[in-house]
Amino acid sequence: MTLSPMPKAARSPFLTLTRSLEFRMLVLAGLLAIGLSFLSPYFMTWNNIFNVLDQSVVIGIVAVGMTFVILTGGIDLSVGSIAGLSGVILGLSAQIIPWPVAILIAVAAGAGIGLISGCLITFFRLAPFVVTLGMMAIGRSLAYILSGQTAISDIPSGLSSIVYTNLLVIPSNVGFLAVLYVIAWAYLTYTKGGRTIYAVGSNKEAARAAGLRVTFYSILPYVISGALSAVAITFSIAQILSADPLAGNAMELDAIAAVVIGGASLFGGRGSVVGTLIGVLIMVMIRNGLNLMGISPFWQGSAIGSIIIIALLVESIVSRLNAR
Amino acid sequence: MTITEAQGRTDDILSAVGITKSFGRTRALDGASLRLGRGEIHALIGANGAGKSTLSKVISGHLVPDAGELIYQGAPLRLRSTRDALDAGIAMVMQETSLVPDLSVAENIFLPELAQPGRFSYASLYRRGADLLATLGQQDVLALDIKVRELSAAQRQLVEIAKALSVQAKLIIFDEPTASLSPSEVERLFDIMIRLRDQGSALVFVSHRLEEVFDVTDHVTVLREGRTVLASHPTANLSQGELIRAMVGHDLAAIYEHPHVAVTPVMPVALEVCGLSAPPLVHNVSFRVHEGEILGLGGLVGAGRSEAVEAIFGLRPRSAGTMTMQGRLIDPRSPAEAVRAGMGFVAEDRRTQNIVPHLSVKENLLLAHLGTHKGFGLGYRGRERQIAVLLQSLGLPADRLLDANMLNFSGGMQQKIIIARWLLLEPRVLILDEPTKGVDIGTRASIYALLRDITAKGTAVIVISSDFEELLGVADRIVVISDGISVANLPSALLDKEKLTLLAAPRTSMARNTALLRELSTETGGTGFWALLDADRLICLNLVTRDSGSGPGFAAGDAKTFGETLIPQALARRAPTLVTESSGSHTTMLCPLQSRRGHNLGWIGLTMTTATKLPSPASIQSRVAALADTL
Repeated sequence: MTLSPMPKAARSPFLTLTRSLEFRMLVLAGLLAIGLSFLSPYFMTWNNIFNVLDQSVVIGIVAVGMTFVILTGGIDLSVGSIAGLSGVILGLSAQIIPWPVAILIAVAAGAGIGLISGCLITFFRLAPFVVTLGMMAIGRSLAYILSGQTAISDIPSGLSSIVYTNLLVIPSNVGFLAVLYVIAWAYLTYTKGGRTIYAVGSNKEAARAAGLRVTFYSILPYVISGALSAVAITFSIAQILSADPLAGNAMELDAIAAVVIGGASLFGGRGSVVGTLIGVLIMVMIRNGLNLMGISPFWQGSAIGSIIIIALLVESIVSRLNAR
Repeated sequence: MTITEAQGRTDDILSAVGITKSFGRTRALDGASLRLGRGEIHALIGANGAGKSTLSKVISGHLVPDAGELIYQGAPLRLRSTRDALDAGIAMVMQETSLVPDLSVAENIFLPELAQPGRFSYASLYRRGADLLATLGQQDVLALDIKVRELSAAQRQLVEIAKALSVQAKLIIFDEPTASLSPSEVERLFDIMIRLRDQGSALVFVSHRLEEVFDVTDHVTVLREGRTVLASHPTANLSQGELIRAMVGHDLAAIYEHPHVAVTPVMPVALEVCGLSAPPLVHNVSFRVHEGEILGLGGLVGAGRSEAVEAIFGLRPRSAGTMTMQGRLIDPRSPAEAVRAGMGFVAEDRRTQNIVPHLSVKENLLLAHLGTHKGFGLGYRGRERQIAVLLQSLGLPADRLLDANMLNFSGGMQQKIIIARWLLLEPRVLILDEPTKGVDIGTRASIYALLRDITAKGTAVIVISSDFEELLGVADRIVVISDGISVANLPSALLDKEKLTLLAAPRTSMARNTALLRELSTETGGTGFWALLDADRLICLNLVTRDSGSGPGFAAGDAKTFGETLIPQALARRAPTLVTESSGSHTTMLCPLQSRRGHNLGWIGLTMTTATKLPSPASIQSRVAALADTL
């Protein structure tokens, strides 16, 4: 007697696709876009589409780092504070050294904070939630101290070229976002490092027993997350030419929301940057649409919160139906 | 078995000498040794806590020993990690599978490669994965691109084995590989193991089940209290008694001590379940259990046994069926309601379903009490005398137990505490799902004795077990569940392992068999059946009829003496010719069903009442033979 053979192509590719959470979220994003275009005729104009994309850049960059962290089963609450602190560092150092070098310093600072969090979490087995909560407080406090509690506004105007250079028709910041997502997706899907990150998040003991570099790949996501927080704030500063110590406040909540809407499991191992990108777009579209309709910005929180809960609710119902 | 061949080889692939390992103050290994030859299956056995797992983990690099050395292929070997062991060609197939649920089958098979330099290519993984499965003779059993999360326990184990082969392991340790497999899956695993041995690998087989040791291994090493007490002894020269003596250090009375009483005195029915359905796995389960009786629920893993009892206990929604307890209809929608009705349930997974790890033994013991206790406080005081009496009767030392953490105790001890938790509530029906899983043989015997004691007080006990031998040994009556349907309800005295295996076969695997029976009955207007025949008793496994009349006098799942059926003479003759009963009512022929490997799979019968057109016996015989070839 043998196990009953399992058909090689268990499901057609299309069916497999429709079963994925990313697909359902894409449908949700599409419905949202259609709905908003009825509610506001301006929504579906090229101008506004680029607006949505432009507004997605900062949160989108941070969400990539957050995806890496959440895939390993961790969480990074410090991204907003790292953004604020590294923005201040960028602003201060850009006054004495060329701005491209200042960017490198700011990114290194962000990566450094991520490295500290990652090491504390991995070597001392501390809870990611608590370590990054501490880092969040420390980062914000240092940002205030370094900046002298005021925004640094004499930023070299050359910095704005990273946002306002057009590559063909695409603005450079949107182009950067697109390239970042392609690289992150390819890394997570087609490289040993990327698959190791999934393995670590899905079953750390199995990964360790197979001889994978669990320690390295547990720390790396925090470094990436810290560095990308600094990159994100750089794009934000380049637009307004001012570094505010308060910048990036509550950014961690948006980033986590985007990743969760995108279908990642907070226990690790499940999720993708494709889903995260959809999550980011859903959130930005809601904000943008509410603005266009002239609805008070205080409603945005309710709308985004509802979307998160509805998304998880639908997912729970669908997975229960699939189990039948 | 190629025992002589294995004996002939003198070059050891591995010898472990004087291995010592302590955890805190407990010494798990105390100078244990193990010698493994190439191309052999070596059993490593011992009671729980004897050090089998620790020794396996030392050899596979999971643990670094305090003292002792490993000689591997003639040279000393130092393992600092599993990575070192894999590089040397030593792999372990873990008891709790060490797979990554969110990666695909192929990625899991080649998981160690993720840490090695070189390109990563799915195409190469799929190609080499298919090759690997082919060397195991298991091509087409697994889709390589699906996530491991979606696989069954047996399929996951296959992935683990393929994973061990992917690193060209020359030595593979199987740590209790059969614990969660059904009998047919065990057979398949043994086929794979024998194939690997014949290809030259050395295999270590760690198991609690002695009969499996005799089935598949060439040599046996027995550990007791961290020391090797029997080293590399040829399995064929050992008896089960000798093995048990080596494991426990003294003789053990036969572990299933209850004498099977063929006719149980009729006690009142404690619980009757009728037409229970709880999709997707449970479709139609009916049985009764009497007071003072142990009822076994048998069947394959995945047949829906656990799901059925979970539905009975209110853990799963039921879509149909009625339940009666002592004449009263009950309809528990939650475990709390089931407990109030008088049920207790020891779930299968001790660690996740039964134990609250951070609570003390006392609090664990009183957990079910807490559920039924009405009042704001804990109400522990009122239970104290009862606990003292209960612990004493279970042979558990009360002073040592109550304040300690639950996890400090062995699996068998934990299981007794969980059973005691329910006994405190004095349930009328106690359900136990795989009560001896991961429990060593000494404790198993005491759990069986405990179940006997419980029933002696009038409690009805329902036991689920995948171990057919255990089921036959411990249960008075056995209900077999196959594909979510209760297919048979027989006294265990009438059954043996072979019959149970046949009864438990999934209905889907009986499709060809059913098709033949349907053809026969359609062509002749009679009844086709598949049955097992004893000296004077029949157990019907499957039956298809087109006969509007009485048929042969039995139905699928029935066990009857020949005299109770309508075709006693034909059954007594059991010949592949047409036999007409002396009353002239039925004409019957019987063909033996024998698989290619020579297993007797019972008899295919055809009974006709109104024999308008008698078929030719020879043609039926050849069709049965053709069917047997496909089994």
